[in-house]
Amino acid sequence: MTELRVEHVSKRFGGLQALQDVSLQTEGEILGLIGPNGAGKTTLFNIISGFLPPTSGTITYDGRALHKQHPHQIVRLGIARTFQIIKPFGDLSVLENVLSGIGMPVYPSARALFQRYRTSATLKQAHAILAQTDLQDWAQAPAANLPIGLQRRLEIARALATRPHLLLLDEPAAGLTTHEAEDLALLIRSLHAQGIDIIVIEHNMSFAMNLCERIVVLAQGQIIANDTPAVIQQDERVINAYLGQEEADVAHS
Amino acid sequence: MFNGYVITIAVFVGIWVSLALSLNILVGYAGQISLGHAAFFGIGAYTSAVMTVRYGQSFWAGLLAAILITGIVGAILGLPSLRVRHDFLVLATMGVNFVVVAVFKYVDFFGGAMGIVNLPAPSLFGVSFRGGALYMALVWLYAGFVLLISWYLSKTWAGLALNTVRIDEDAAAAVGVSVPRFKIYAFAISAALAGGAGSFYAHFIGSVFPDTFAFVESIAILSMVIIGGVGTLRGPIFGAILLKSAPEFLRFAQDYRFTIYGALLVLMMLFQPSGLLGDDSWLWTLGKRIFRRPAASMQAEEAS
Amino acid sequence: MPFLQNLSNALVLASTYVLMAAGLTMVYGVLKVLHIAHAAVYTIGAFIGLLVFSWLGNFWLALLVAMIGSGIVGVIIYRTTYYYMLDAPRIVPLITSIGLFVMLTDLLQKGFLMGPYQRAFPAGGAGMPRIRTSFISITPKQMLVLVVTIVLMTLVYLLLTRTRIGLGWQAASMDRDMAAAVGVNLNRVVALNFFLGSALAGAGGVLVGVYNNSVFATMGDLVSYKAFIIIVLGGMGSLPGVIVASVLLAIVENFMVAWVGYVLPRDAIAFLVLILMLMFRPHGLLGKE
Ligand SMILES: Nc1ncnc2c1ncn2[C@@H]1O[C@H](COP(=O)(O)OP(=O)(O)OP(=O)(O)O)[C@@H](O)[C@H]1O
Ligand SMILES: [Mg+2]
Repeated sequence: MTELRVEHVSKRFGGLQALQDVSLQTEGEILGLIGPNGAGKTTLFNIISGFLPPTSGTITYDGRALHKQHPHQIVRLGIARTFQIIKPFGDLSVLENVLSGIGMPVYPSARALFQRYRTSATLKQAHAILAQTDLQDWAQAPAANLPIGLQRRLEIARALATRPHLLLLDEPAAGLTTHEAEDLALLIRSLHAQGIDIIVIEHNMSFAMNLCERIVVLAQGQIIANDTPAVIQQDERVINAYLGQEEADVAHS
Repeated sequence: MFNGYVITIAVFVGIWVSLALSLNILVGYAGQISLGHAAFFGIGAYTSAVMTVRYGQSFWAGLLAAILITGIVGAILGLPSLRVRHDFLVLATMGVNFVVVAVFKYVDFFGGAMGIVNLPAPSLFGVSFRGGALYMALVWLYAGFVLLISWYLSKTWAGLALNTVRIDEDAAAAVGVSVPRFKIYAFAISAALAGGAGSFYAHFIGSVFPDTFAFVESIAILSMVIIGGVGTLRGPIFGAILLKSAPEFLRFAQDYRFTIYGALLVLMMLFQPSGLLGDDSWLWTLGKRIFRRPAASMQAEEAS
Repeated sequence: MPFLQNLSNALVLASTYVLMAAGLTMVYGVLKVLHIAHAAVYTIGAFIGLLVFSWLGNFWLALLVAMIGSGIVGVIIYRTTYYYMLDAPRIVPLITSIGLFVMLTDLLQKGFLMGPYQRAFPAGGAGMPRIRTSFISITPKQMLVLVVTIVLMTLVYLLLTRTRIGLGWQAASMDRDMAAAVGVNLNRVVALNFFLGSALAGAGGVLVGVYNNSVFATMGDLVSYKAFIIIVLGGMGSLPGVIVASVLLAIVENFMVAWVGYVLPRDAIAFLVLILMLMFRPHGLLGKE
């Protein structure tokens, strides 16, 4: 089984310790990653997907070291990601956004310079992904014209187009209505049923608790819990971390 | 049918159409603003001049060498774009232009300020192309070639990848696009095509001098791309035809050439940043409305 | 002592760079726009200064009018162009600044303005003393450049650190939206910014015009390319950085010319340095990530 192993990863931004000795591994499940604002969740994704180098520690996927590779190389190993602050290719159509992911295997070769990207085979693949993510009605629309909820879905569709084995989703449910979030949970489950491992960052506790089989809790850069939702719910340190957060939020407003 | 003057203008317009289209690959496709395109133009012209005058090769060998060598140099001079973006890339490419012109001017091999003269005219099967309608046809053939490459590139995976790089480098990397690789592709292709244009220019004039390829020429080429409509194919063609031929017909436009270029750039940025023929420009929208039927059938084609 | 003499020559050169680069860096600090057209403002300053001087014969009055005049030109440039582009993609103001630069430089060369030739600016040292000791000699003209630069930069420094609007400027250069949110009048701050920066450039133009006894339409080009190098060296948007970088560049240039022969002209070398800097120290010599 292909597994992701994060071992003793730390990350420093100047004086700020964003991650401190973080270790975790996937076991073929839907893994939740939760934690208060600024806990370091996105930073961990950035390190796994090659956008940031770790200050120390190692990451391997399927036995291969990731932490010295570039983002575009890591996608090729089968790890795709979405962005918390979504980054659709706004002037391109929804279809082309998905096609951009389908091209992943071609980009490294010189064929990229000669092969057309719209062929019946690639269009078929793209439409299949659009159907799966329920975006088929928007295929020709510029991505920037989509409502925000659908743009989030497009992030996932584009990542799926690279045919990942492991999908990193950074707050995919942020800003969605309850109804949309339910649809999203269904989509994530169906992807998992197809054999894609998933790590999902989520703020909404009940969403994470329902969806994930295991949850890792980050607070101030450290893992403070790593267990099933039922256990996590009872964990005092987790409750404290979140309570502290809520107090801070109240103080803010 | 053609008199010499008209042919001269047509040759120039054809060369600058090629230049604008080639810069468009860099600016419009890859989103890398360059103020150094005249350097590639010049490297092509000088390569061809050196090949033919110093090494006695034919025009055709010179043209081929110009395209190849300029492409390679373009790939190397594109390296700064891997580290710097936006304003800084503009400065870096501007710097590249100055350095390249300085090399032409101060290295004896390139003839210094005196340039290289007595370039041969192309000939094929004993027919000489100098100055005639044949040369014009050749230049426009080349412009057509540049157009074909630009069009085809936009249909390839590389074209799609360049789009992703232009819009968001992080998202591009996240779908497996190696941003450095595709930027270098864009620089190399753009430079190579400009190099070919340089060769055509050099053999038409019959000589090359450093100052022809100075920084202001880079601004002129960029103006054509931006004023016409960056990222489209029709835009740079239109921009080059407009800006290159108007000064030939209007004396005022000749004297105030750069005032007009500059003012047009500012006005475009204020009122029509996508260019005169950009996708959402009023001129293009108007044209589409007038020729509604062809436009509608084009859309139908797109949908099928 | 050639060393000290070289040093004082370098400081004079550095002064002219500082005046030019200060405005560029101030504009970049607040608007994040590379104001390439600044070169033209410098030339306009020199031109106005020369006009007033040849009319009234008083250097100090010429300097003052030139500063006010180029300051106003700067504000006009801002209000007619960049002002409408604050939220546009960065390519928009960038291309605008290129357009303005090309347009103004070309216009200045026309007969009804400066024409394509050089004019003398015979203001001498404007009454400055000559300093001559056994190891250093400073001409009145050099004194003039140094003194005016130091006085102007001190004034700007005080204005920016001791007054309300100056503090607003500092806030705006750290974070424009945040500054607006806490009640800084951005429009006034940016307009002041353009006025000051352009006035300094104008003063620079006048001083260099007097120093070289020559004013011409493209005199701003070279200095502005150098100024780009300086603001990159100085870490984009930092005034102290500009001063340090100006001195550094001037010293390097002076000593290179004095002691080392060169293959390429000085300016090509300066550009090579710029390209390498951009690639390897994009945040400047003093700047950090
Ligand atoms: N590139 C960076 N440079 C400097 N500091 C950073 C950088 N990226 C993140 N940080 C800091 O690291 C800390 C962790 O940030 P991160 O984005 O990983 O948090 P998060 O858990 O994803 O929070 P949120 O729930 O708000 O998304 C924060 O204090 C953040 O300001
Ligand atoms: Mg986050």
